Formats: sequence, C-alpha cells, structure tokens
Amino acid sequence: MKIVRKITGSKLFFTLLWIAALIIIWEVFAYQVEQTKRTPENVLPHLSGVVDSITSDKKINGSQTAFQMVMENAGATLSRAAIGYVIGIALGFILALVMSLSGIVEKIVFPYLMLIQIIPILGMAPIINAITGDIAASRIVIAAILTFYPVAANTLAGFKAVKRESHELMYSYSANKFQLYTKMMIPSCIPYFFTGLKISAPMAITASILVDTLQGGVGLGCLLSQSLKGAMTRYVFWDIVFFSAIIGILSFYLIGIIEKLLCPYKKLEQKGR
Amino acid sequence: MSARPNSKRRNAVQSAVLPLAFGAVLVTAWQTGLLHKLLNTDEYVLPYPTRILTIIGENSDKIMENVWASLEVALLGLVFGSILGYLIAVFAAAFTKIGSGSLTIISSFNAIPIVALAPVIINWTKDVSPEAEVRSTVAKVVIVTIVCMASMSVNAYRGLTELPAFSQDLMKTYGAGRITEFAKLRLPNSVPYIFTALRVSVPVSIISALVSEYFAEYVIGVGRQIRENILIAQYSTAWAYIIVACVIGIAMYVLLIAAEALVLKKRR
Repeated sequence: MKIVRKITGSKLFFTLLWIAALIIIWEVFAYQVEQTKRTPENVLPHLSGVVDSITSDKKINGSQTAFQMVMENAGATLSRAAIGYVIGIALGFILALVMSLSGIVEKIVFPYLMLIQIIPILGMAPIINAITGDIAASRIVIAAILTFYPVAANTLAGFKAVKRESHELMYSYSANKFQLYTKMMIPSCIPYFFTGLKISAPMAITASILVDTLQGGVGLGCLLSQSLKGAMTRYVFWDIVFFSAIIGILSFYLIGIIEKLLCPYKKLEQKGR
Repeated sequence: MSARPNSKRRNAVQSAVLPLAFGAVLVTAWQTGLLHKLLNTDEYVLPYPTRILTIIGENSDKIMENVWASLEVALLGLVFGSILGYLIAVFAAAFTKIGSGSLTIISSFNAIPIVALAPVIINWTKDVSPEAEVRSTVAKVVIVTIVCMASMSVNAYRGLTELPAFSQDLMKTYGAGRITEFAKLRLPNSVPYIFTALRVSVPVSIISALVSEYFAEYVIGVGRQIRENILIAQYSTAWAYIIVACVIGIAMYVLLIAAEALVLKKRR
C-alpha cells in the first residue's frame, strides 16, 4: 500500500497520467476521423501509423526510408540552429559583460535590446534570407539574433542581482576588476545565464525550421512543405511535427541537465529550501 | 547612484538622449548607404528609410487592411489564450496534485515550434467554415491561443500559490471559506503575475500571428505580405510591412506597460 501511495503521490505520476489522457483523446478523435474522412492521415492519423512510418523500411523516394529522410534533413537544420545558438550565446554574454562594466553602453544598448524582443524577428526571416543570399547563413543569423536577446537580458539581470554584501566583501579583499568578475560576478550570474539558454533553445530550432520553408533545398521545413503539398506520403509531415516537438522539448530539458552538471550547488540550494 | 536631484536628473536625461543619439546614427548610416557597405548588400534589398516611408504613405489603405487582419488574430488569440491559461492555473491551484502535472504538459507546449503547430491546426480547422477567410482566421486565432496559454498558466499559477507569509493563516482566523480565500487573497495576489505573463505573451502573440499567416490558406496579414512581396522580389514593399510590424509590436508593448502602471499604481 505504501508503495502505491508513494507512486500516486508523485508529480511524475500525474504528468504521465496527463500524457496518457492526451494519447487517449488523440486516438478517439483519430478513430472518429477515420470513419468520416477519405484520407484520414491528412487530418489526424493514428499514433500507431506515425510510429509505423518511422520504423518501416519501405523506401519512399527510391533510396531512403521516411526515417532516414527526416534525419538527414534534421541534421542540416539542427546543425545550423546549433551554430547560430552558440554564436548568439557568445555575443549575448559578451554584451551583458560590457553592459555591466560600462553604464554608458548599457544606457545606449538596453532600449534596443528591448526592441529586439518586441519586434517580430521571425517576420523578418524572408528579408534576412534576401540580404545574406544564402539559406544556410540566414538560418545561422536568425537563430543567433533570437538567442542573443534572452541570453544578454538574463545575464545582465544576473550581474545586477549580486548582493551588495558580496560587493563589499570583494572590496575589503581589495579585489581588482578582473578578480571581481572571475571570482564573483561571473559565477553568480550562471543560473540566470542558463535561464536565458533555456528560453532560447526552442526558439533557435523554430527559427531554423521556419527559414527552411522559405526556400528549397535541404532542411526539415523544406521537407515539411513538400509533404504538405503532397510530394510524398503525408506521414513524413507527421514525423516532422512529432520530431520537432520532441526536439524542442528535449532541448529545454537538455540545457537543464547541463546546468545541473555544471552547477551542482544549485541542487543543494533547492534541497535546503 | 547618488540621491542628489541634480545628478538624478542628469541620469534620466542621459538614458533618454544616449539611445536616441545611437538611433539617429544608425538611421543616418542607413540613409547614407554606410549600412549597406557594412552588411554587404545593395539599396534594392535594403531600401533607404525615406523610400520605405514613401511606400508606407502610398499604400496606407492596403497596409491598414492587413494590419487590422493581423491585429484581430493577435488580440483575439491573446485574450482567449490568457483567459484559458488563467482558468487552467485556477484549476491547478485548486487541485494541486493533478494540476501540477497538467502545468508541466502545458509548459512543454511552449517548446513546440510554431512552424510544426501551425500546419496541424490549419488541418484541423478545415471544416469550420466553407469560406477560406473565416476558417483561416479561426485557425490563426487557435494557434495564437495555444502559444499564449502556456506563459499565462505558469505565471498565474505562481501568483495563485506563492502567497505572502501568514496571509493564509490570517484568512483562516477570519474563518474564510475556499471561495472567499480565492476572491480576497489569491486573485488579487495573482494580478502582478498576470502582467509578468503578458509581458512575454504580447510580443509572442504578434510573432505567432505573423508566422501562422505564412501557412494559412487565405492570403492576408502583415506577415504574409512580407513573404509574398519577397517572393515577387518587391523588397521595398516588404520592408514597409516589416516596419509596420515593428510599430505594431512596439505600440502593443507600450500600451501594456501603460495599463500595468495604471492597474498596479496602488501597489507601489
């Protein structure tokens, strides 16, 4: 009995319960659609059908199975998203550091940082594509721009959240600027920095897929629009939808795991609370 | 840093003048073609600001029509999403055990790329209406609703459950029931959190409205116009729509900040 109570009392149990409920609702509607529509897989396929299309070894374009095709295109899209993500992180961190060092730079740049968040960058994707002239480059640029703001803003918030007492302590140690930053400011802003990373990881992936849809070539978004137009089986579309949803969610949790590995002290703090 | 009114005023002046000066430098660089050299592009792909403004003036009727279409989608989605998100938060706060799991699921919706979500929703809403215009609008509103729901439910849940110390004990001493406790304590406590959520979801509602237009059947909206004009290589018209999109984003955000200042005035 105790074990049963322990399991049903945990948060994970209820999350799993919700996932199960969602799957049941999906399947009920899929059954409904199957009865009424001529091409049910266009609207709502059974989940088993999606799984089948991933595991089957039927070649859909002569040389590749659906799974191989999605993976090849995902590689092109995600590698660009990752490059843009890393560039955006580096620039965002450096900018936050410069803003923290110089009040004037902060005053000049911060309103524009706010603007970047407010204006619809994804709407600008086509024009960035036109300026760079190369779809691979524009994926990187847009992923970098979208990553840049959350990282810079959160890291700056981290620098500002350092307690006055800590500053006073460093002052009494007569620490110079370099020591101040390497020993105190940068380590203490890391949790904030990771918040920025978590927010921007799914955004970088979204941006990269969206840019794909603008132009032909290799990429998940490109494959997605081809499948929607009926150039290949509709299951490829569903594979991509599930794949990108899972990758988006995983990227969020992956950063969380990296954070836990890099900052073991955070776990201690949470336990202490 | 210092509290002297003189230096305070100088600080305020500085933080207004410096960004404006930077903006002026940027626009000048753009207008004189320096920006084109830096970005290695030409005035065809990146037209001069004066040219873009002329185009906005010339096509104001058509632009406004698309602006209203996009605004309608963004605002309806924002309102529905926020209300739904808040109701989910209330449900989660009332039944904490089942509810916290649902919040995990909802917040993971946030990580699903809009690009994957948009075609699915458009597929599902095909039978809503025989008219392409109506069913496209419904699909777009649903997409924005889903995207806005997540940030509201997570933040509102925090507002409904992270109460000031001893406030719950106070309610108990008054002998307040669950409904009174909700109306007099939890609801007012969640108001600042609602604004925190809106600060995220207002820009997001516009972005997702623009992106969902890319996939919609019926060709209307600022986002769609940007894309259509690029496809026919009308870059200056596309830029006109980009500038308009930015203005919408900024205007909605300023309105939100004003509303927040007004509502939360008594709390400061």
